[in-house]
Amino acid sequence: MIELRGVSKTVDSGGHPLTILHPLDYSIASGEFVAIVGPSGSGKSTLLGLLAGLDAPTSGSITIDGVDITRLGEDALAALRGLKIGFVFQFFHLVPSLTAIENVQVPMEIAGRRGAVARAKELIEEVGLTDRAHHYPSQLSGGEQQRVAIARALANDPAIVLADEPTGNLDSTTGRHIMEMLLAVRRIRRSTMVLVTHDADLAALADSRLVLRDGRRVETPVGAR
Amino acid sequence: MRFIAVMAAREMRASWRRLIFFFVCIAVGVGAIVALRSVIQSVRGALARETRALIASDVLVSSNSPFAQPVRDVIAAEQAAGRVAEVSEATEIATMVRPAARATTATKMVELRAVQPSFPYYGTLTLREGTYSHALLAGRGTLVRPELLAQLNLKVGDALLIGKETFQIRGVIANEPGRSLGAFSLGPRVLIDHADVPATGLLGFGSRANFQLLLKGPPATIRDLGANLQTAFANQFVRSRGYWQNQDRIGENLSRAENYLSLVGLVILILGGIGVSSVTRVFVEQKIRSIAILKCVGGTSSRVLAVYLAQVVLLGLAGSVLGVMLAAVVVAAVPSFVGAAADMLQVDYGLSASAAWQGMAVGLLVSVLFSVVPLLEVRKVKPSLLLRNDATRTGGIDWVKWGVAAGVGAALVGVAAWQAGSLRVGLLLSGGFVATAVVLHVCGLALVWAIQPLRYARSFALRQAVLHMVRPGNQTRVILLAVGLGAFFILGVRALQANLLRDFAVQAGPNAPDMFLVDIQPGQRDQVAAVADQANGDRPAPQPIPVLRARVVAVKGANVALENYEQVRGRSGLSREFTVTYRENREANEQVIAGQWWQPGSKGVEVSIEEGLLQRWPIGVGDEMTFDVLGRQITARVASIRRVEWEDFRAGGFMFVFKPGAFDGAPHTYIAPLRGPADTEARARLQASLVSQFPNVSVIDLREILQTIQGIVNNVTLAVTVVGSLVLFSGALILVGAVSMTKFRRVYESAILKTLGANRRLITTMLLLEYGVLGAVAGTVGALGSIALSWAVARFALELPWQATPYLTLAGIVGTAVFVAAVGVTASLDVLRHKPLATLRAE
Repeated sequence: MIELRGVSKTVDSGGHPLTILHPLDYSIASGEFVAIVGPSGSGKSTLLGLLAGLDAPTSGSITIDGVDITRLGEDALAALRGLKIGFVFQFFHLVPSLTAIENVQVPMEIAGRRGAVARAKELIEEVGLTDRAHHYPSQLSGGEQQRVAIARALANDPAIVLADEPTGNLDSTTGRHIMEMLLAVRRIRRSTMVLVTHDADLAALADSRLVLRDGRRVETPVGAR
Repeated sequence: MRFIAVMAAREMRASWRRLIFFFVCIAVGVGAIVALRSVIQSVRGALARETRALIASDVLVSSNSPFAQPVRDVIAAEQAAGRVAEVSEATEIATMVRPAARATTATKMVELRAVQPSFPYYGTLTLREGTYSHALLAGRGTLVRPELLAQLNLKVGDALLIGKETFQIRGVIANEPGRSLGAFSLGPRVLIDHADVPATGLLGFGSRANFQLLLKGPPATIRDLGANLQTAFANQFVRSRGYWQNQDRIGENLSRAENYLSLVGLVILILGGIGVSSVTRVFVEQKIRSIAILKCVGGTSSRVLAVYLAQVVLLGLAGSVLGVMLAAVVVAAVPSFVGAAADMLQVDYGLSASAAWQGMAVGLLVSVLFSVVPLLEVRKVKPSLLLRNDATRTGGIDWVKWGVAAGVGAALVGVAAWQAGSLRVGLLLSGGFVATAVVLHVCGLALVWAIQPLRYARSFALRQAVLHMVRPGNQTRVILLAVGLGAFFILGVRALQANLLRDFAVQAGPNAPDMFLVDIQPGQRDQVAAVADQANGDRPAPQPIPVLRARVVAVKGANVALENYEQVRGRSGLSREFTVTYRENREANEQVIAGQWWQPGSKGVEVSIEEGLLQRWPIGVGDEMTFDVLGRQITARVASIRRVEWEDFRAGGFMFVFKPGAFDGAPHTYIAPLRGPADTEARARLQASLVSQFPNVSVIDLREILQTIQGIVNNVTLAVTVVGSLVLFSGALILVGAVSMTKFRRVYESAILKTLGANRRLITTMLLLEYGVLGAVAGTVGALGSIALSWAVARFALELPWQATPYLTLAGIVGTAVFVAAVGVTASLDVLRHKPLATLRAE
């Protein structure tokens, strides 16, 4: 269960304040699949970052399973991310100096879990990269890198999976594969999923849609069916 | 914990290549520290084993005059009390020897030592062939050092003339106990039987002989014996020295030498540390994304920081281990460098465990201390930068960072103090380093600023080169510091050497005397002068100067009161034996700065003293000084204080000049300064004819001494140049490292330039100019520093006139520029080789 109460974000832009996200109330039930849609610069990624505790909101509170994460310190946030949240980025963001399987191991190792190697192998197999497990990110294609990123996001069995335009940097065929994989993950693990996209077809598959424009929530997206 | 270790190990796979240069710097510094300490500890170990051998006895009693009965009575009393088991006599005399065969003209100053059968009590005298026994000396036999044979063209079995007597060379000395190490010696050792000394006629009045009693005692009471003799001889011109005092003194000197020398290693290490600090900053910058990812998947700041700190520790450890291995190689190579000097002392050179541990500890400390502040940036990396690129920087003062920086500074002072073995030296070194760094930094910035107009230069390559020096993430400061410091060391020492040698050349100028005839007996005075005058052609005839040897035994003055010799001895320097003279007039190189020069016919015993004495003892005009001259006590009133121009020593420089009449009736000898013939052959002939006619007269050839000094200066210069080269080498490593750290930027830039039509030649020119300009700036900074250093040392430490060395300065600047350009371009060859498309796609 995720609760947003009056969450806003204002940054300093060349000396004067710029509001990226205006105060927003929203709640996401456990197991729900929410798509955040809207044009570029509408505050989608910012909102997702706030949900993951990657950044602190300027005002408002974000409660995850009864814990107000805006009151947590950096280290507590890091621990929360490690255990409860899996994140998939548009630009994959794998650690370049680690192999595919090592990238998957990292969250489990940080959490001090036993059997990280065995579980990483399972996950790599699950995303179909067993024979690429010991390659470095630079030796993998975009789609392969994103599959490693998904495996990494699932490493600690997070209750929440956040994905920031996961197909935005891939060609359409590869993008569809990645999306199917994410949907399968959600189906099998019953995890809460928040997806940022501007792909209307993808958004249509979600349980609910949060449409943003200029940092404000709008009820009907422009040009919606 | 496991995560930190595993993660650090994984990251190292990729990062070690980029960080390696800096840890080679650490290795060089650690290697220097470990090697220097190990060698000195080895020497020290050998000395500790052989301190008895150094004086060949338990206690050595020595005096510049024959032992009087009271001295012998003291020894006899100790012997009766059972504290002395055996006594052996020895005499050391500096004298001239020559082959007995008339045909040759060669002569040589030697240090003669006459010994009795029981010599040595400790240590062994080794010969090139056969074993030593006193029988070899008995009946006019002699043993000599190999260099004497070479210089006089002699071989074993030949006859050698010592004083008035002919001796047969019966062997060659390889190693002699009691030959003091590294001490300035007047010539090679010649050993004869003590019983033969009178026959040589060298013990006549005025000879420079040192009389010795070698005592061996039961070990249990040996320290009592030492104490007793010290008390008994307190007020006499007799020194007694126990082997343990040698041990203490040498030990103290060596530990000081060890600590000071290891500071050289520390300087190199700190330079490496600065490189480490700079590379860590760039490294963290490049790792920002990885750091953000780790934080995104649950890593806390402290754990991520620990991952990177662990890498530094691992590499620091690797560098330190490499350093210890380097040191092992160097130490193993030492014996082959020491060569002839190795004959004097048997040293087992080896890596000392304590030195190795110290080196490792210092290497690790420096690596960690210098990387910790830049690593703190890890804390500021926000995981949100993975979503947006404009990671907002938190403003304000980072107190943690400044706190840590202060702690690091204090820790570095601590490391320096620990290595120097003194807090004061540690503080001085750290202060000096900070000051040098600040000056280099400011000079560097000023120079970089000064060349900024070149940004508008017509040449595209030159414009780019200048712009690159101030671009973000530039390594200008670090390279300036590292290379500038290396250039500073080398040029500074060279400039100093040039000044020193020039000064010696001035002193040995056309009219200055370059030969001294000493120990001339009064009866020989006119003959010696005549012989010398005939030999040196149309140059002025030598004027023999009367000399006596005197000691200060009491001073009664307004500000100083020393009642007897025991008290004078407490004032170390004043207790030595002075060579004094008397004359009516002031010499040209003297100037009276207080009191008055005596008028002819004035009454009373008067003395004029050199102002140098006043620096340590507040003796004034009108004070009374008592001198012991050959057992006679003479009290003289200080009539004047003179300043002597030591550079112009034609008339010799004397600390004490007496009014004539004071020594009437006292036996004295003469010395004669003389400008010898220019031709080496003629000089040898002059020496030979003097020595054959007057065996007791010694000829001190200043040219030979100057050559010796020149040799020493050259050796010292070489040693410091090696250190400077090491620093410059570290500078080169830092340079290579800096280039490879920022290579990714250059590769990208040059790819864009290539796309825009730049060919490889243009890019090579750009690189050459960039590093050439940087090198020229570093060279200029170093050269300016070297001018300041050599001026200050010449002016204040050596008190020499200073002269600029423009060619050296210019060569230094050009050399540094070429060096940096070569290293920089070589390290960037990759940039030229990369195909632009691949690079641009990767970005």
